[in-house]
Amino acid sequence: MEKQDNREALDAASLAGDILLASGAEIFRVEETIFRIARAYGVESSDAFVLSSGIFLTAGSEREQDFARVRHIPLSAARLDKVTAVNQLSREIEEGRHTPAEARKRLLEIQHMPPKPKSHQVLASGVGSACFCFLFGGDVVDSAAAFAAGILLYLYLLYLVRGRLSKIAANLSGGALVTLFGILLYQCGIGHHLGEMIIGSIIPLVPGVAFTTAIRDIADEDYIAGAVRMLDALLVTFCIAMGVGLVIMAWHHFAGGTLL
Amino acid sequence: MSVRILWEFLAAFIGTIAFALLFQVPKKYYGLCGLIGGIGWVCYEVFLLWCSAPVSTFLANVAVVFLSRLFAVRIKCPVTVFLISGIFPLVPGAGIYWTAYYIVTNELELAGQRGFLTLKIAVAIVLSILLVFEFPQGLFRKFWLKK
Repeated sequence: MEKQDNREALDAASLAGDILLASGAEIFRVEETIFRIARAYGVESSDAFVLSSGIFLTAGSEREQDFARVRHIPLSAARLDKVTAVNQLSREIEEGRHTPAEARKRLLEIQHMPPKPKSHQVLASGVGSACFCFLFGGDVVDSAAAFAAGILLYLYLLYLVRGRLSKIAANLSGGALVTLFGILLYQCGIGHHLGEMIIGSIIPLVPGVAFTTAIRDIADEDYIAGAVRMLDALLVTFCIAMGVGLVIMAWHHFAGGTLL
Repeated sequence: MSVRILWEFLAAFIGTIAFALLFQVPKKYYGLCGLIGGIGWVCYEVFLLWCSAPVSTFLANVAVVFLSRLFAVRIKCPVTVFLISGIFPLVPGAGIYWTAYYIVTNELELAGQRGFLTLKIAVAIVLSILLVFEFPQGLFRKFWLKK
């Protein structure tokens, strides 16, 4: 009985870590949560080593049964709803409100939580682009153009790309797409500040999550994970810049600099 | 100026919520995320009257991180939720664009200036996060008890 419990407790702890890491939580939070859940179920010997793409979890001592698990977790999009839910659950587990089996069931539910509907995401991308275009100095028409570009960008990312392209290709082509769209609108006389229009519409691509989490990992002295995430952020930024730059350069070349 | 600031607050508020949605923040936190984003942007604009862009980014971001930690302690939810959304208006998206633009139009001096400015702003964001996360957690708890 004791042995079985240990195993279930560590299963739950490891699953919680999985979900957190895949949803873009900081390394510190993942390690802390695994440790807290294990301890709440009386496993004192758990030891977790977490990288940005994997979890190594072991337990075992003279009194406790051995347990080891390695999980590979690919870098993926932020799911702050899952981070919040696991955080809440781990709090409840510490208060002793769930058995290991129950906790595991709840975690599986969290893991399969549906994302926000695609239509909402597309709309949010448009609204976000429009707002940021305005903030960076665009006028109302520019913002309307950025709204359209933001919508187009997320339609492209959610329906056309859908994980079929590598991250590099997706960001490069996304940046290029909104730039081309912006230039075309501008050429048709819609919008007055091309720069602000394009800035607004590339904002949904900017890797704010990776950047922020990278800094926090480095601050917590999780250098490997921090460095990997920082590299991810820099690479994405670089790709966006390349996408934008390539289209402007091509347009310059073919239109002979009429626009810029 | 004052009317413009009000509009900008509103735009930052709504824009931040839009990005909170993209990062799948639960609905009940939208209001607070928007508030932090809006306050961060207004701080940035106000400080910009006296300081350079990197310095005002630093000061505004200190406010953003501080508020994020405060709200996180208050309603017991991960600080990441507020931090990531609230920081978004201050991320130097414009810098990325202008740097790329000047590079391809072969105005390398301007590209260098813009690139360094963007880097400075990014460093300012890094420093402000590091600074505020050095404050002990207890400070934020006390802050709420006093109120």
